[in-house]
Amino acid sequence: MLDSDDPVRNFAEFKPVRTLLLIAVLALPAFAIDLPKKPTTCARHGTTIDFVESPKEAAAQAKKEEKLVLVLHISGHFEDASLT
Amino acid sequence: MGALTDEKVGKFVNDNFVTSYQKVGTFKIVGNNKQGGNVASYFCAPDGRVLHCVAGPVDAATFLREAQWVVDTLLAANTSSKGEGAKFKEAFRKAHAEKLMNETGLKVEPITWDVETTTDKDALQYKDPSGRPLAPKLPPPPIDGPDVRLSDKEFNDRQKNANAAPGARRQEVVGKGGGVRNVVVNNQAIVHQLLAAHSMQKIETMYGSVFENILGEKVSTKPVDVVRPFSWVDKDGKRLGR
Repeated sequence: MLDSDDPVRNFAEFKPVRTLLLIAVLALPAFAIDLPKKPTTCARHGTTIDFVESPKEAAAQAKKEEKLVLVLHISGHFEDASLT
Repeated sequence: MGALTDEKVGKFVNDNFVTSYQKVGTFKIVGNNKQGGNVASYFCAPDGRVLHCVAGPVDAATFLREAQWVVDTLLAANTSSKGEGAKFKEAFRKAHAEKLMNETGLKVEPITWDVETTTDKDALQYKDPSGRPLAPKLPPPPIDGPDVRLSDKEFNDRQKNANAAPGARRQEVVGKGGGVRNVVVNNQAIVHQLLAAHSMQKIETMYGSVFENILGEKVSTKPVDVVRPFSWVDKDGKRLGR
């Protein structure tokens, strides 16, 4: 089928192999995004609200999701459940 | 945990806000007991500028009402300002003054320019143990007194409602004619008074005024990120043993 000893020329002429390789390369990013992700940082801490771990993270996520940011500033004696 | 465990509050907050927390201030140890402890909830734009604040713990209905007010006012200010930043800020400050009038009958003039606050470079600026300056105490605009558009009955009804809200206290106001009058304010009234001049300021310039001037808590350090905001439950909300 291939009438040349030149591998480069053979590759260029052998279209089915080229097509398969192209598909493999194009499919690579799709497999890559299925790699295990960092676990989500949301937690509820006994409330009904999803908390992210820092205001910086909240700001970045809010910008992305076109939401606002809610930041709780807390101090001291929180064992009294009526405080929050 | 009152408001924050309420299903309606959770749904509304999760739908409209991304939430986080920081530890701010300290508490005193008296004998074997801790004293103090409080919470302030800041509703902010994604860049950290404060749109509104709830000072202190409130019930679920109040929290939901305040959160809803932020979203509604944001939409109205967006429409009226047509994308112009200065007009948006002005609209928000006027909205705070209007809300103060609706809830307490008191009149405050919204400030539509930004007050210059202390900076790191000020020679006498107090710094926390990490070397950073604490938040400045922002000057609130003066309360002018009862809104003249209200009848005596309307004003008294609003003052009565204000007296039933958390943090209610009497405050002397000096009218434009020089007369002194005692009026009732509460935590949220002072928040609106403050934000009629300073809303859309960064949260780091605001927390000192809220924690010290409104809640009466001593702030001794800048807000710091913590792993667990509520010390009696773990991250998944399971109650911890003592």
